Amino acid sequence: MKIEEFKDFTIQDYHHLLEEKKISPLELIDIFLERIEEGEDKIHAFLFVNEEKAKNEAREKTDNWPEELPPLWGLPVAIKDNICTQGMPTTCGSKMLENFVSPYDATVVERLKAAGAIILGKTNMDEFAMGSSTENSTFGPTHNPLDLRRTPGGSSGGSAASVCALEAPCALGSDTGGSVRQPAAFCGVVGLRPTYGRVPRYGVVGLASSLDQAGPITRKVEDAITILEVISGKDSRDSTCAPYPPFSRNEIPSLEDIRKIKVGVPREYFSSRVEKVIGEKIQEALGKLKGEGVELVEVSLPHTDYALEAYYIVASAEASSNLARYDGVMYGLRVEGEDLQDMYFETRTLGFGKEVKRRIILGTYSLSSGHYDEYYLKSMKVRTLVRKDFEEALKQCNLLITPTTPSFPFFLGEETQDLYERYTDDIFTIPSALAGLPSLSLNCGYEGGLPVGLQIIGGPFEEGKLLGLALWLEKLLALPSPFPELKEGRGQ
Amino acid sequence: MSDFTTTIGLEVHCQLLTQAKMFCRCSTDYIGKEPNTLVCPVCLGLPGSLPVLNQKVVELALRAALALHCQILPQTLFHRKNYFYPDLPKGYQISQYDLPIGIDGFLEFYSQGVRKKARIRRIHIEEDAGKLVHEGAFLPPGTSGVDCNRCGIPLVEIVTEPDLSSPEEARDCLMMLRNIVCYLEVSDGNMEEGSLRCDANISLSSSSLTGVKVEVKNMNSFRSVYRALSYEVERQRKLLEEGKPVFQETRHWDEIKGVTVSARGKEEAEDYRYFPDPDLLPFSLKTEMIEEIKSGLLELPLEKEERFMTQYELSQGEAEILVQDREIADFFEDTLRNFNKPRMVCNWIVTEVFRNLKELGTTISRAKITPSHLAELLKMVDRKEISGTMAKSVLEEMFTSGARAREIVTRRGMALINDEKELENIVKEVIEKNPQSVADYLSGKEKALQFLIGQVMKETRGQADPELTRNILIKVLSSEE
Amino acid sequence: MKEVVYLSELEKIARLSKLGFSAEELQSFLRDINDIVAHFEKLNQLDLQDVSSTSHLGGGEPPFFSDEPQAWEGSEEVLKGAPWVAGGYFIVPRIVDKEEKENEDRRI
Repeated sequence: MKIEEFKDFTIQDYHHLLEEKKISPLELIDIFLERIEEGEDKIHAFLFVNEEKAKNEAREKTDNWPEELPPLWGLPVAIKDNICTQGMPTTCGSKMLENFVSPYDATVVERLKAAGAIILGKTNMDEFAMGSSTENSTFGPTHNPLDLRRTPGGSSGGSAASVCALEAPCALGSDTGGSVRQPAAFCGVVGLRPTYGRVPRYGVVGLASSLDQAGPITRKVEDAITILEVISGKDSRDSTCAPYPPFSRNEIPSLEDIRKIKVGVPREYFSSRVEKVIGEKIQEALGKLKGEGVELVEVSLPHTDYALEAYYIVASAEASSNLARYDGVMYGLRVEGEDLQDMYFETRTLGFGKEVKRRIILGTYSLSSGHYDEYYLKSMKVRTLVRKDFEEALKQCNLLITPTTPSFPFFLGEETQDLYERYTDDIFTIPSALAGLPSLSLNCGYEGGLPVGLQIIGGPFEEGKLLGLALWLEKLLALPSPFPELKEGRGQ
Repeated sequence: MSDFTTTIGLEVHCQLLTQAKMFCRCSTDYIGKEPNTLVCPVCLGLPGSLPVLNQKVVELALRAALALHCQILPQTLFHRKNYFYPDLPKGYQISQYDLPIGIDGFLEFYSQGVRKKARIRRIHIEEDAGKLVHEGAFLPPGTSGVDCNRCGIPLVEIVTEPDLSSPEEARDCLMMLRNIVCYLEVSDGNMEEGSLRCDANISLSSSSLTGVKVEVKNMNSFRSVYRALSYEVERQRKLLEEGKPVFQETRHWDEIKGVTVSARGKEEAEDYRYFPDPDLLPFSLKTEMIEEIKSGLLELPLEKEERFMTQYELSQGEAEILVQDREIADFFEDTLRNFNKPRMVCNWIVTEVFRNLKELGTTISRAKITPSHLAELLKMVDRKEISGTMAKSVLEEMFTSGARAREIVTRRGMALINDEKELENIVKEVIEKNPQSVADYLSGKEKALQFLIGQVMKETRGQADPELTRNILIKVLSSEE
Repeated sequence: MKEVVYLSELEKIARLSKLGFSAEELQSFLRDINDIVAHFEKLNQLDLQDVSSTSHLGGGEPPFFSDEPQAWEGSEEVLKGAPWVAGGYFIVPRIVDKEEKENEDRRI
């Protein structure tokens, strides 16, 4: 079989192929490894390809074909490099962890493996998940497969690019302020950020503990559902993981009930800062829903404008503390020094890139005595207001639809004078992250070969409704799945 | 010169008696173990690791807080205390800041026979850091070693108000605090092993002078606490009398030199940037749980001490010794069930029983002797079946063999001879053998009587009942006249 | 009143975070930080007097674990991957500084 044949495959399709023994796990993994080889020098989605071990696992599975196949049996999965995988590197895109091999698997990885998946490799990311372009990776940026001159987004840029280019059938990323959704939007694929507490964080290297969630990046909504079923559910090793059972597709309402869903359109997300074409594509999609009889309601999220600042304060503060463990003592990079203090300074100065340092400084500043009330405490209060906004809005509707990003993927290496402007790329994904709500991005159209991401936001633990609407909308839109030829310049 | 008032406050850390660590399932049994063997991703602070709270930690801390009459806050949460040190893997310590487990309690204790009270400002829980070694053959030159076995061990920190007014009071308060945590089985309160540690704040003031707080650290025993604070009182007094300033600083107690030494801190005070730990949810201490623990609280040392004083008419000093160790106190009361003479039992426990325990290097719970065994022995002494001296020897054997008193006495033929007829015969024999002494006694020398009693004792290998012997001697001798 | 971050403060923050900067870098960071902090001013437009703060997401009672120890088998692997180990200890430059000893004495 050839890779092109998998262009429109869902995970279920691979599963059937394997069930019917039309392909073996080894054959399957070889196809993807070949695709990776073909694409990697142009895309650079992977920091580590698990070639040897993956092949061995696939071989072992091929030799020990069970009666009943677990749901992800033989499926190659790419994992973002800030999620711990035993026996292979977990670098977080940083020099600090360049040679770090985790002695344990993250819960999400354990669960994928238990369901039969094979870890294909670790994907590129902005250093310690700080950034939205993957340009902050110490190991070089990833290129958008749909236009190799452009960014795939970030921080889960590698994961999104690998799925877009079909170097992997699906991937895991992590989303703190949009790091799954924005790259999914930029690469024309599906990215799900689950409700905070839905998916265990044990083994997901902490950036901002009250915001981080691991989530699937897939080619179809159907696959996001399949992955969510496997990775979600309570974990006794994560105090912030809700004590609920894993998500089940039974939570998805019937089409009849989905048609009755009221869709809220928050006016603040359709301001002048949104690029015209993006706004148009979203309106088109909304129009399609309306045409099917779905009620659209205009709502307001009045504190949207303040969410960005509150987010950056909270995220930097938590990050500054979470990154204090990188001190050269027990793992990771160490630069020897004359004395202990010297060692600390040298190690951390060399180990961290500029953006990471910037955020650590910002975070430390926000928490320092004399500034705690002014910044950290204040932003925690703004967080309450943002949450209340969504609570109120979700009383008038069941789900919200917005653009995922205000603009198209920009060119790599584009220098912005205004640092802050780069931060505002995340302006539509941040508020729902602050509020801990589930949100998904799916492609709602192409313009000049570049995708437009549409974001759906739901109420807490209402992934059922959210995925149900997403499934239906995806069908209505009937867009082709990306399969770039990986030539220089435009892809599709 | 002017009179100075001493003001002391204590900050006490206790390791909690749990099997597993505070936020992970590693064993707490780290003493004597190879370094870095009782560790896991959580207590090592590996990337991606997360804390989960050990239920028992809350229970034990609550027990302590309730026993100290603290107000339990309806909601409590953890804060991160951020700083860099090699024994702190995460670069922060999980502790509590403004919502500790308990506040506004108090502790009562006796100091030099007087009942005192010290208020407890707060009690909170936090994780312990690892151990650092600076010496060892295996250490490459110019280095120190980090052992994370101790990382994550649960601690409870108890802070008193500065209500203590002398080094004695401080020591006695600390001892009562230790007794309480031991009674509650919250901690094993061992200062030498480090499961109980105390820092103090001390200042001297007068009517014309406000005190300057000096922090004293590194006091590793109750005696050190007393000595260090006594030294501080003198040091500060001298300075003030000479009109010199007392600096607000931290001083380390040097046990060997018997002085406190200034540990001048950094110019820049450490900013710990406390903020609520986002990896641990706030939790409420339910009223049911609080009530359950409260009702399960056993009688505490002070209550027991005072009850012993009234119920058994013991002095404060006697009661205090008995209640130091709950097992001894229980042993005492259990003995009384079979032999109800409190003063006598108390006396025997604090002298002979303690002596035997010390010599054998054991504790009352591990000793072979039981309360009914002791009661049996003491009954025999009381009934004069054996002499006191004999009984001490019997007790020793009871400790080593676990045999019962009666059996030992019979086997060793130690029964007190109190058969009048038998004694009379012996007395008559002695009188016959010692005509000079008899003559001396009859001519008024009392000392001769003692000599004759002694001779009877000699004849009976100490088994003659001394009083009876005396009476019989006197009777027989008077008839001689 | 507009908050401004001064160089001395930035230096202090850098020390607290154990990050070293050249004079040039410091200036660049100073500009960046002030730029960002200026944006944070916006939050002062809101009246937050009676607003509660959200320090944690996720409601409900957190999980506890019951007090039963469980060994982890990976400690050897950690030691193998560590920068410097001797005699089973993680090795760091010698701690002799009195102020650092003070840190140590804060613990049991």
